[in-house]
Amino acid sequence: MADVKKHDTPMVDDLKSGPWPSFADDIEQMGLKGKQECLDLLGQLELSFKHKETHWKHGGIVGVFGYGGGVIGRYSDVPDQFPSIAHFHTVRVNQPASKFYTSKYLRKLCDIWDHRGSGMTNFHGSTGDMVLLGTKTDQLEPIFYDLTHQLGSDLGGSGSNLRTPSCCIGKARCEWSCIDTQDICYDLTQTFQDELHRPAFPYKFKFKVSGCPNDCVAAIARSDCSIIGTWRDDIRIDQEAVKAYVGGELKPNAGSHSDRDWGAFDIQKEVIDLCPTNCMWMEGDELKIDNRECTRCMHCINVMPEALRPGVDTGATILVGAKAPILDGAQLSTLAIPFIKMEPPYDDFKDFVDEIWMWWMEEGKNRERFGELIQRQSLQEFIRRAKLKPIPQMVKEPRSNPYVFWSEDEVEGGWERDVKAFRARHAA
Amino acid sequence: MAVDREELKQKILEFATKKSKHKSKMYIKDLYKAMPEAKPREVKNAANELVREGKLEFFSSGSTTMYGVPGMGKGLEEAFED
Ligand code: HEM
Ligand code: HEM
Ligand code: SF4
Ligand code: SF4
Repeated sequence: MADVKKHDTPMVDDLKSGPWPSFADDIEQMGLKGKQECLDLLGQLELSFKHKETHWKHGGIVGVFGYGGGVIGRYSDVPDQFPSIAHFHTVRVNQPASKFYTSKYLRKLCDIWDHRGSGMTNFHGSTGDMVLLGTKTDQLEPIFYDLTHQLGSDLGGSGSNLRTPSCCIGKARCEWSCIDTQDICYDLTQTFQDELHRPAFPYKFKFKVSGCPNDCVAAIARSDCSIIGTWRDDIRIDQEAVKAYVGGELKPNAGSHSDRDWGAFDIQKEVIDLCPTNCMWMEGDELKIDNRECTRCMHCINVMPEALRPGVDTGATILVGAKAPILDGAQLSTLAIPFIKMEPPYDDFKDFVDEIWMWWMEEGKNRERFGELIQRQSLQEFIRRAKLKPIPQMVKEPRSNPYVFWSEDEVEGGWERDVKAFRARHAA
Repeated sequence: MAVDREELKQKILEFATKKSKHKSKMYIKDLYKAMPEAKPREVKNAANELVREGKLEFFSSGSTTMYGVPGMGKGLEEAFED
């Protein structure tokens, strides 16, 4: 039995009585195996329940040499009672693209963390990193050394940096992926190492890459720059497979809802009527799609994956400005580029990124996300600074904003006029 | 025209030291004011070099990063007052 001290924590213990496994159990077990930090953490939590106040201090001067991010400093404000968590820093470790690991890697990582930290982890943070919870300042450099030298892993982003880019499983396992999400994620991570490790921005900035509009990493909701795979030619149709779905030989949605009897598959009701742009119909037993009207929502493809597949002229749609601020609520990203070929070395995309970062670094206020800058200075200003051409797709739905503002040089002939002469005819 | 790196670093350090008498933590944007003709990225690179030399230090809440002069100033509450 390890020599550790468990605090008296009746309120925390009460959490164990619910129907779900509780973190209180997990953390306590880890503690009883010899991690005083875990028991002190629960002790401090009990105190916070009692006082109805947190006892963590937020922020501090921590990090590894040469990096301005990757470590989040946390300190207890009652270190005399809980000395083992006087420091309790979080370390973010850059996950491999799509989060593939060998068990050997994970064992090694856990060994490092058992040895130098609390042993507690969070796989994965919403940014994508592996999150190692709780260590002391003097362990940071050794942890960084071990991560880089033994595992070939780097710290992730935190603070006013580029955050660790993340991507869906992409072409590694998913036939719908229109772009090589892992390569894009890795390439951006390498290209923008400086932005990732050394704070340069008014606030955080996230890239997320999804291979198709199903958007499994929720790029459209969670990233300042969302890269979402799409295609610009036609959905590939296998009419024989369409018949097999209609005839019941193939299960819709790859059988994923087959635990209940939903009755016979009805292509009209379950696919055609649900197409958001009404661009599908049957001609006899052939399924037709007006691809010009298709908005690439993926619904029909998800329901009939053996009959329908994305096209072959693939690339990505780029959207910008998603955020989830606490005060004014979530905002999805806004369309910037409807279609861009995403092939290495992704120069066109990176040129776009350079332009928008330049604007944000010049004009963004402290702690203002990219999407907030667009809101403050207008979509029009964004388009101008990003050197994009305005196109109808940038306007929401058909129109939620009825105003288009032209500047004089955008209008042939300009609009010189004599205000005095105008006022002579029209009272103010 | 690129500005002289050493001159920029000197100006940033002077600016930060002067400013830290009443507000010890600065955003990167505040440091732009040290030399308005320098580009944001030049200021960032110079400030980062100063951090590597130990003349400035990073201060992070986890979500936001600020710069400070080692030994100056107090805690976080003050840092995030505008
Ligand atoms: C009741 C206990 C806790 C619960 C239920 C909890 C829950 C969560 C959840 C739901 C997230 C978001 C995860 C995601 O969306 O990926 C999160 C993130 C995080 N938690 Fe906890 N947490 C707990 C305790 C802690 C403790 C004790 C620490 C450190 C002392 C901690 C540090 C973090 C950090 C650093 C993140 C951010 C990870 C990131 O996004 O990069 N959490 N937590
Ligand atoms: C009442 C207590 C707390 C409040 C009100 C609070 C509030 C917040 C807020 C508002 C953010 C988001 C900041 C932003 O992105 O603008 C944040 C981020 C964070 N907090 Fe706290 N926090 C509290 C306690 C804690 C504790 C106890 C810990 C760890 C021991 C912690 C660790 C973090 C971390 C690691 C982040 C992530 C920063 C990021 O991903 O950008 N916080 N917190
Ligand atoms: S986003 Fe698309 S490509 Fe990526 S895993 Fe999901 S379904 Fe597959
Ligand atoms: S992908 Fe969506 S919009 Fe396009 S045809 Fe299928 S259901 Fe209609």
